[in-house]
Amino acid sequence: MYLHLFKARLLVLLALPLAAVHAANPSVSGSVTGPDGSAVAGAVVFVQTPPAAATVTPRTMAVVDQVNKTFVPGVLPIAVGTSVRFPNHDQIHHHVYSFSPIKTFELPLYKGDDAPPVVFDKVGVVRIGCNIHDWMSGIILVLPSPYFAVTGADGRFVLEDLPNGTHVLVAWHALSKLKPEETAQTVRVPEAVSNVNFRLPLAPPRPRPAMHGLRP
Amino acid sequence: MRWPTARSLRTTIFVAFSALILIVLLGTLGITQFVIGREAVLALSGDLRTTGQVFVSLLAERSTRLQTNSTLLASDFALKRVYATHFNPASYDAETLASAGLSYRQRLGVQLVWMTDEAGNLLAASPARDPAGQSLADFSPLKEALASQSAASGLVEVDGKLMQMVAVPVLGPEVIGFLLLGQIVDDTVAGRLKRDTRSDITFLSASRVYASSWTFPWRERERVGAAQLATLLHGHNDPNPAVSEIGNRRFLALVVPIEAHLPQPLYALIQGSYDDALAPLHTLQWRISSIGILALTGALLTAMLLAGRITGPVRLLVDAMHEVLRGNLQRRAHLERADELGFLARSFNEMVSGLEDRERIKDTFGRFVSRDVAAAVLDGRVPLAGDRLEVSILFQDIRGFSALAETLDPAALLRVLNRFFTEVVAAVEAEGGVVKQFTGDGVMALFGAPQVRADHVEHSVHAALGIVDRLARLNILLQADGIPPLQIGIGIHTGEVIAGLIGPDERVEYGVVGEPVNLASRIEALTKGMAATILVSKDVAMRLGPGFVLGRAAVLPVKGKTQPIEVVELLSQPSSS
Repeated sequence: MYLHLFKARLLVLLALPLAAVHAANPSVSGSVTGPDGSAVAGAVVFVQTPPAAATVTPRTMAVVDQVNKTFVPGVLPIAVGTSVRFPNHDQIHHHVYSFSPIKTFELPLYKGDDAPPVVFDKVGVVRIGCNIHDWMSGIILVLPSPYFAVTGADGRFVLEDLPNGTHVLVAWHALSKLKPEETAQTVRVPEAVSNVNFRLPLAPPRPRPAMHGLRP
Repeated sequence: MRWPTARSLRTTIFVAFSALILIVLLGTLGITQFVIGREAVLALSGDLRTTGQVFVSLLAERSTRLQTNSTLLASDFALKRVYATHFNPASYDAETLASAGLSYRQRLGVQLVWMTDEAGNLLAASPARDPAGQSLADFSPLKEALASQSAASGLVEVDGKLMQMVAVPVLGPEVIGFLLLGQIVDDTVAGRLKRDTRSDITFLSASRVYASSWTFPWRERERVGAAQLATLLHGHNDPNPAVSEIGNRRFLALVVPIEAHLPQPLYALIQGSYDDALAPLHTLQWRISSIGILALTGALLTAMLLAGRITGPVRLLVDAMHEVLRGNLQRRAHLERADELGFLARSFNEMVSGLEDRERIKDTFGRFVSRDVAAAVLDGRVPLAGDRLEVSILFQDIRGFSALAETLDPAALLRVLNRFFTEVVAAVEAEGGVVKQFTGDGVMALFGAPQVRADHVEHSVHAALGIVDRLARLNILLQADGIPPLQIGIGIHTGEVIAGLIGPDERVEYGVVGEPVNLASRIEALTKGMAATILVSKDVAMRLGPGFVLGRAAVLPVKGKTQPIEVVELLSQPSSS
């Protein structure tokens, strides 16, 4: 129902880039910083409770690539119910697996696009690894709603197409010492939609097996 | 064989050599004892220290191997999968884990396998432990592994046994649990270590002995008390090994602290046999002693030989000297040598020849002059310049000599004269006088020269009486031979004369010059006229002590002199024969 409005908003935005004309679905922006104010990149800000009325159709397919013996992206936020493909663009085989309770799966040694996609139908954090390459690890963040954004290097995020109303936003980071629900901030759309700031204390990164510098 | 005495050169050489060699031998033995004993201890200490380092290395290597094996094991996908089931209580499979643990124990030959979750809570153990699910988060090496999220190892005590344990994380892909493997350090291990290093090793703390390579009964663990352990460990702060005695054998022991997570500090007691280390020393000492004794014997034989070469000739010279001192001046020392001893012998011979010559001269000389004079002249005691001496001069003459000469043939006459003169010389020399001259049928004797005599007057008178006495006896003998008795006259005077060597050098004569000489002669000449045997001058008579019988006195003119002289007759005492 809102599709044409969405397209109209887009046109308006394109036509009047400098006019701060807010259509029916504004974006919420802000930043995620550490306790000392430094920017936190790679944090995911999302709406905790999916709103009754969805304004976007979630993607049905997401991708975690394997390039140069690394998962790309390292953190993939998806809405619950999304399928994820794991293409292998390396010249070697990989064996992707996860023991996470919400999704335990295994893609035995394969190359290219040989592996079938995996549907993530439970909300939570899924840690994936490669059985033959100890250093490879990645996270698939299965979120309750399609409304999420990832901070860039500047620590800023933009959440778009949020429906009007009150929303609870939370922030997650792989090293965050706080649980997402502990970072909850309420946002009323369309008011107070900018400079939503999350302060996340981060733990030091845990030691991981090194990819280089070992005995050949 | 002459027994050696302290005064024998040969003995001195012998003793000196023996003492020297003995000192050298004992010194060498002492020094080797000290030096080599110390070296043996140092070497053994070095060995022990090295062994200690080897032990520590061996333990580290075992640990590393265990860790490698554990890491490989923890990478097993099937194991990871089973580990991951603990996330979901519904699918958690503790039994599978435990059975896997048993399988790994057998695969690796380790004594225990523990599996924990990522927080250190026990999931499964082989052999089984109670209670399951307990937290091992404070148990080393898991404690360290949890903190670093990587592998850790260490020595720990489990159920009273010493274990090398390793804790490795199980990745999936982040840490989903820990795998602990443990291998025991027991007597077998200690024995293997001993086999490789030749030193005994015992792993112990202050409260118990964990493992030992000893097979001695003393180390029965239950009976090793705290006191004994304390004794063994008392040197634990000392980097130098100390000597201890067990049974009858001596050991050097080194205490090496070993890093471990135990209630009390862990030590490795490393022992090497002290006796074995010193065995080469004893062998060496035996050898040195043997060589030393041989050397001593050899040196002594050489010494004796050398000594003989020196003391033999010396003894020969000494013997010769003894004989010479006893009076045998014909003795010579025969040493045909080119060295100093040969020179000594030749000099000795020359010297004795010289003595012999001198004696011969003295003898010969003495036949012509009295031995006193001869000796005095030879000795140089007669001053050439002359001396003023107070002497007594005795002149003696045979009366009726011409008549006698006609009776006897010249040979017989001389024989008689010589017999008589023998008596005269004897009488004179008995009184310390000197027969200066034989005047054909008479004698001139001196008293007080060349040897000064204080009582020369009395001596001269006694000599005169002696002559008369002896003549009387001689006459008896002569009468037995049919020879008429001799009759003599004696004149004695005393006074100062000049005595010395008179005459040119080639024909020098000891003589006296002075008025008293002439007067003595004149007094003798007067005896016939007075029909007296002995006439002495007044001077003489006055000088005589009691005991002399004086007879007639007279004043008689002296031919050629204006002054007459007073003479007194001396009567013979009754002979006391």
